[in-house]
Amino acid sequence: MTLNSLFRNATAAAALLVAAATQAANDKVVIYNWSEYVPEGVLEEFTEETGIEVEYNTYESNEVMYSKIKIQNAKGYDVIVPSSYYISKMAREGLLAKLDHSKLPNMDHLYGTLLDKPYDPGNQYSLPYTWGSTGIGINTDDIDKNSITGWKDLWDSKWENSLLLTDDVREVFQMALAVQGHSANTRDPQEIKQAFELLKKLMPNVLTFNSDAPREPYMAGDVSLGMIWNGEVIMAQEEMPEIQYIYPKEGVILWVDSFAIPANAENKDAAHKFINFMMRPDIAVRTVEYTGYATANKTAIRQLDPETRGNPTIFPTWEVINRGEFQEDVGDEATALFNQYWEELKAGM
Amino acid sequence: MNALLAHINFRKLVITLTISWLGIFVLMPHLMVVGTSFLTHDSDHFASLPLTLENYRQVLDATYAGVFWNSLVLSGITTVIALLIGYPFAYLLSRMGRVSRTVLLFMMVIPFWTNSLIRIYAIKMLLGKKGLFNTVLVSTGIVDKPLQLLYTDFAVIFGLVYILLPFMVLPLMASFDKLDQSLIEAGRDLGANAFHRFSQIILPLTMPGIVAGCLIVFLPAMGMFYVADLLGGAKSLLLGNIIKNQFLVARDWPFGSAFSVFLIVLMGALLWVYYKANQYVQKKGGMDDQNL
Repeated sequence: MTLNSLFRNATAAAALLVAAATQAANDKVVIYNWSEYVPEGVLEEFTEETGIEVEYNTYESNEVMYSKIKIQNAKGYDVIVPSSYYISKMAREGLLAKLDHSKLPNMDHLYGTLLDKPYDPGNQYSLPYTWGSTGIGINTDDIDKNSITGWKDLWDSKWENSLLLTDDVREVFQMALAVQGHSANTRDPQEIKQAFELLKKLMPNVLTFNSDAPREPYMAGDVSLGMIWNGEVIMAQEEMPEIQYIYPKEGVILWVDSFAIPANAENKDAAHKFINFMMRPDIAVRTVEYTGYATANKTAIRQLDPETRGNPTIFPTWEVINRGEFQEDVGDEATALFNQYWEELKAGM
Repeated sequence: MNALLAHINFRKLVITLTISWLGIFVLMPHLMVVGTSFLTHDSDHFASLPLTLENYRQVLDATYAGVFWNSLVLSGITTVIALLIGYPFAYLLSRMGRVSRTVLLFMMVIPFWTNSLIRIYAIKMLLGKKGLFNTVLVSTGIVDKPLQLLYTDFAVIFGLVYILLPFMVLPLMASFDKLDQSLIEAGRDLGANAFHRFSQIILPLTMPGIVAGCLIVFLPAMGMFYVADLLGGAKSLLLGNIIKNQFLVARDWPFGSAFSVFLIVLMGALLWVYYKANQYVQKKGGMDDQNL
């Protein structure tokens, strides 16, 4: 091959690459979601129906997702799924794009009670995907279910070196704040400090932190008690029905995870199509069945089989919901304080 | 002539490539880290002016002294165990025929073609309450009920030793290869017993390998946050965990950078010790010894 022909070939290849790249910009959607949050086969179906290719990435904490979006200047991903209070924080910082509701006809299927929340009035930036709670996980083969009724029971010294906590600063503090009768969304340094002091006493009981797949240490038999998300219990019960979920009497930790589009996303059209697709009732039904989390889709709930619909671990009673508390943005100062105490807790172990 | 010219051009190309690669991917990022470490924490922009030494003061804060000490202990134990396993292993390897030696080395290196994260997950399954270790221990009646192995310091050390052992063996083997057999024979002829031959001849001559191996194991051990995350239960056990948390969770980049710089300086100090030790070895009893 002469140099000339080599050069010509290289140019041709480069032109092809550019063509492929431009094409990709129209026919691709990059999703950044929590791990194990979309049922198997759904992404493939989306590609089949729309011709839009899906690139899928996962994260295990809001903090990590936020850091990535922030450093990349709200580019690089087209759909993200922040939890409730991160919506208001990210919208305030200009990291989220306004949704075009005309492109999202399936939002008619959503529950009114989960729309127009304080963290996103008028749902300008987000639409709820699933909602769930963080409560107490227990292996009833090892521990009597009736002996545990609230968060307070985790402080018992007989659990030394055996508990699992989620690797989430706000959730762990919410547990301590609930025990002391304070709001999870307090900005009062005094109350936060008290919670920190209480958590320091809990640390000797902690064996591991896990927000990747908290059910796994329970299923591997390494942990029999601790915090867990309700959906993880549902997933675990397929193999081990003895793993169960307790709504702590001090109040459960509630959250909503919502779809949003980063402000500078490259494929906003495809992102709207994807969100609309995920809000389709049949897809929402499969999401509940796969993830074990409650859907925000009221049409889908009517289509669920009665057993799933009546499962209190997936759909808590109103009494439980009213006693629980949603997390809200507490501002930079309180957030920094939470983080600083969190570091101290983990470093002091 | 043409060949010579091509040769020189090729050399230039290689050198330019290497230097630019190091410049772009090693020097620049490190300079950025050093620069960031003097900036002020800013939750909206990660880092901002004014310049400050506050981050370094924070590094020396009492909160982190515990983690620092913990890191030193865990990495220290890891290094000692790796040395105790690696030294006889390297010795045996160097005494073997070429074929069996190649085979054994090959077997040691093969696992490294698998991602270390996957191997750590595998260890997690081995050490769990229903894992292989506990199953064997319980079924043979050595223990009554499964031991808590996972999410302990033991698990972290186990993982670190497993990941880092080859880095101990390879420099040691290089030292054993250079070891002149005639010196040992001379020692034997002059009446030195096995212990003396080891302590007076073999040990001093392989000291550069020991120091190099220990350094290459000790330093990375302090930073391997994912081993501590997965096997130790995501508590902040190693300095690497603190750095990771500062960057990803607390988003205090200047502080995380200051911690990184602290680790780099520590590494530099240890390399200096290595350099001095090497000089010492070469002076006294080494191949360059005047008295030899």
